[in-house]
Amino acid sequence: MLSVDISKFLRADGPDKVTGSGRYSADISLTGMAHAKFLYAGVASARITTLDTAAAKAIPGVFAVLTQADVPDIRFGSVADRYLFAKDVVRFEGEVVAAVAAVDADTAQRAVDAIVFEYDALPVVNDIEAALEPDAPLVHEDWESYSARRIVMDRNIASQTILTLGDADAALADADLVIEGRYIADASHAAPIEPRGVVAQWEGDKVTIWTSSQVPFQARDGVCETLELPTNRVRIIVPHLGGGFGGKCGFHYEAHIAALARAARRPVRLVFSRREEFLAPDRRREGMIVELTTGLRSDGTIAARKARILLDYGAYSSDATFFPHMAAMHALGPYKIDNVYAESSAVYTNRQPSGSVRAPTAPQACWALETHTDELAAAVGMDPVAFRRLNGVDTGASGVSGQVFDAIGLQECITLATEDVGYGDVLPGDEAIGVAIGWWPSFPGASGAYVKLDSDGKGVIVTGAQECGTGAVMTLPYLVANELGMQPEDFELVYQDTSAAPYDVGATGSQTLLNNGIATIEASYQIASRLREIAASMLEAEADDIVLENGHAHVDGSPDTAIPIARLARRANHTGMLIGKGARIAPPDPKTSISAIGDQGVSSFAGPQFSCHAVRVKLDRDTGVARVLAVSAAHDSGTIVNPIGAAGQVEGGVLMGIGQALTERTEYDDKGRQVNPALLDYKLQTFADAPPISVQFVEVFTPDMGPHGAKAIAEAPNVATAAAISNALGKLVGLPMRELPMTSERVWRAIQAVGS
Amino acid sequence: MTFTLASSLEEALDAVAAGATPIAGGTDLVVAARGGRTPLPESLVAIDRIPGLDTVTTHEGGLRLGATVSHATIASHPDIVRYFAGLADGSALVGSPATRNVGTIGGNVMNASPAMDTGAPLVVLGASVELASVAGTRVVTVDDLWTAPGVTSASSDELCTAVLLPAQPENSASAYVRLEYRRAMEIAVVGAATRVVLDGDGAVTSVDLALTAVAPTILRVTALDVAGSSIAAAADAAREAASMQATPISDIRASDSYRRHTVGIMAGRAVEAAAGRAAGEQISVPVNRAFGIGAPA
Repeated sequence: MLSVDISKFLRADGPDKVTGSGRYSADISLTGMAHAKFLYAGVASARITTLDTAAAKAIPGVFAVLTQADVPDIRFGSVADRYLFAKDVVRFEGEVVAAVAAVDADTAQRAVDAIVFEYDALPVVNDIEAALEPDAPLVHEDWESYSARRIVMDRNIASQTILTLGDADAALADADLVIEGRYIADASHAAPIEPRGVVAQWEGDKVTIWTSSQVPFQARDGVCETLELPTNRVRIIVPHLGGGFGGKCGFHYEAHIAALARAARRPVRLVFSRREEFLAPDRRREGMIVELTTGLRSDGTIAARKARILLDYGAYSSDATFFPHMAAMHALGPYKIDNVYAESSAVYTNRQPSGSVRAPTAPQACWALETHTDELAAAVGMDPVAFRRLNGVDTGASGVSGQVFDAIGLQECITLATEDVGYGDVLPGDEAIGVAIGWWPSFPGASGAYVKLDSDGKGVIVTGAQECGTGAVMTLPYLVANELGMQPEDFELVYQDTSAAPYDVGATGSQTLLNNGIATIEASYQIASRLREIAASMLEAEADDIVLENGHAHVDGSPDTAIPIARLARRANHTGMLIGKGARIAPPDPKTSISAIGDQGVSSFAGPQFSCHAVRVKLDRDTGVARVLAVSAAHDSGTIVNPIGAAGQVEGGVLMGIGQALTERTEYDDKGRQVNPALLDYKLQTFADAPPISVQFVEVFTPDMGPHGAKAIAEAPNVATAAAISNALGKLVGLPMRELPMTSERVWRAIQAVGS
Repeated sequence: MTFTLASSLEEALDAVAAGATPIAGGTDLVVAARGGRTPLPESLVAIDRIPGLDTVTTHEGGLRLGATVSHATIASHPDIVRYFAGLADGSALVGSPATRNVGTIGGNVMNASPAMDTGAPLVVLGASVELASVAGTRVVTVDDLWTAPGVTSASSDELCTAVLLPAQPENSASAYVRLEYRRAMEIAVVGAATRVVLDGDGAVTSVDLALTAVAPTILRVTALDVAGSSIAAAADAAREAASMQATPISDIRASDSYRRHTVGIMAGRAVEAAAGRAAGEQISVPVNRAFGIGAPA
């Protein structure tokens, strides 16, 4: 544990955000800056017949109008299936057709309206099952020409993974009981509070781009790829980020705005409306159909499981090629099963592309699996918690991919969450407790940081890591101070600037503190080592005997003769400066024994996190309105480095899970267009809806993963809540829930179905 | 675009006569413009600083609410909570604390949304609005005011200056309940307001019932003859009449059949709440939170 006091964690970016002095992308204003607006397709599937920008360009105050004809003819994306601007066809309503830079936003909009954009409508692929029919229209006629290395593609199947362990068919044939279930989840959205902004400014042949990105290095790489620039001429700076939840992962509009700024010969700013934030970015949480078949032995153990999963991929590949594989892992679940088969396909549709939203694929797949699991328990006459205890993985057990787990805490999570929520207590007739378990990997990966101490003994951490609101970057000063015997306030952060700092994957995959914490601590070691050397020479001692504590250095056992670190730092300028660097190198993945066709690398869960969520739900049977009264969430995320930050992640993940369970849903019309791209009818939970959330951690020290034995934390809390609510509602209604979200009307209809 | 900051009613009426659209809290106009639905009018006159327009005064045994009285004031005003609780129930559910602090009763009434939370309570309370113009002032009942979604019978040069709440019968009370999917920033899926009058023995003398978001305007339920019946029987009758007379649509928020069913549930619960209040039971504002209606507590 840390010697520095993190129990009263104070975020360094807190005052900025609370007082309003913080700057977000939309706050950036540069001399001579122009304003950008996009022309969107507005139609889900069409062939462009006319795209004429002459009238738009002729409007006074319009500086540039761009289409795909004005930028390099480069196809990009994880299978290279898209261009910056629509080329020949449009494949979803939010596809960017043209971009305008003008003297002000109104003029830019008038210019957008003046672009002549005509098209012939094409058939709309709007249903993932219909899309697999042999005669279904193709979203991408040219799919065979795409560069799909390692990715299995077939017509409208954009990415497919098939997992096989043991012999599921034979085991099902031998099973005492076989239970089948089909579960359908709607699409949803990340819905960060800040609609994104992008500002680009050229100086010579270099461009600086301020953007609301969770992954500035990926954004930079996207600009470099599509505009054919070397990385050192593109600088991405992220001002404060107003939330992301995955929706701001990936590369979005940085290249559009950089190209506009170059053509307009002046800085250009784009600021999205809430409607655009809903419609355009390729980061929607995908709809899903999950079909599960589980074979049980009469003793309640699981003999085999088969899963067939279809994911609504949308029109283009963002970062979602691994989704089928990840969804399959979650549909199979954190259970001991020796015979599994999963066929999981991401299906192109003429809808907004899917992409990473917090724990991508897990909430929906976990909801399906855990609803199914309560059905399994009922079928063998077992209590659903006892059933999970019996079949859930534990230390030393082998999971669905044949991965043998080191020390893990799933069973203890089940104990803590169910005891805390009062599982088994007698409840009023309109209340029930539902329980679900979930898992999620940690993602060790490349990440770098520098630390320096200046001559007054004050430090700067220069990190590639991105702060997306979780507090992960804000925790770094505590880690550094802990190594140097200093205080977190002694350090300032330089972050979210690709030209200043070494590489980091970004605020994605819950990986920030996991990897950058290691890099930052490593950088601190080098400074600590130099400080000890300097102190040793001054104190005439061995460097190994020097202790750094309370801002001073002293010889172990002689604390009375202590030298302030500031004095050591002053001396360091003459004897070799205090500069440290650290880079995380990922450990090898745990071994598995599963066969994967279309392997996307997630059969193995490094630093696997486990959780159990137990919820008490009250149901108004006359209306189907459900209210979550209490949530008990227990998590094994390894050592908890920052208790306040970690608890905040669990609380936020649970509240997001309640929204996904009950109210959050993106609906499409029969033409593939979103019906509710607005916050009034895309219903996030509010503070008034938040129930008491009790958070407990099972702190299993996990070696070779995050700092001090930590695993990741940010996404895992978003996995099991909807599933737990489903199981509570299943008890209250008397039927398993089959559709997500479990809206009041859907629940009411289920009640009617039971009654009739 | 012109923007007039009216410092007196006369100034405001001149501006409205010249074609300006009045704006007070801006919670409808600005939100509609930001949402891309309706651009801001070319000419606006701000009426939120007109002295006296934001006061609650007694009037012919009832109350006169100035047009710029906020929902926050209505939800907490002792006389409104005591004698016109159904209206306080409605205002207490509007939007968020911020919306309630700037949103006004006059704006709500003149926006004429069929989903407005104060609409059904105003109907059952027999409310009227005062419409002023440079030519003079007239009073119109709310039933006669709302003619279609977003449309009123006021002429374009008229400004709503007050909402008038008449004195209520002895042994009566009102309540408004709505179906909501979340507890803040919500719009009524359906809602129902009632005023229940009891006789000396606790039986029902009369029930007025109006419904939210199930018709092109706030819908007054007719032919609800429950004189002499028990509260439970009156609630049953309200439930049935509400579901029968509603003409809901299907949209993103709910299907027509779900609305038709739940508006009956809301009507029955509103009758129970109003009758409870009329009988002296302390049921705090808003009923939705006190009874957990729509979203169980």
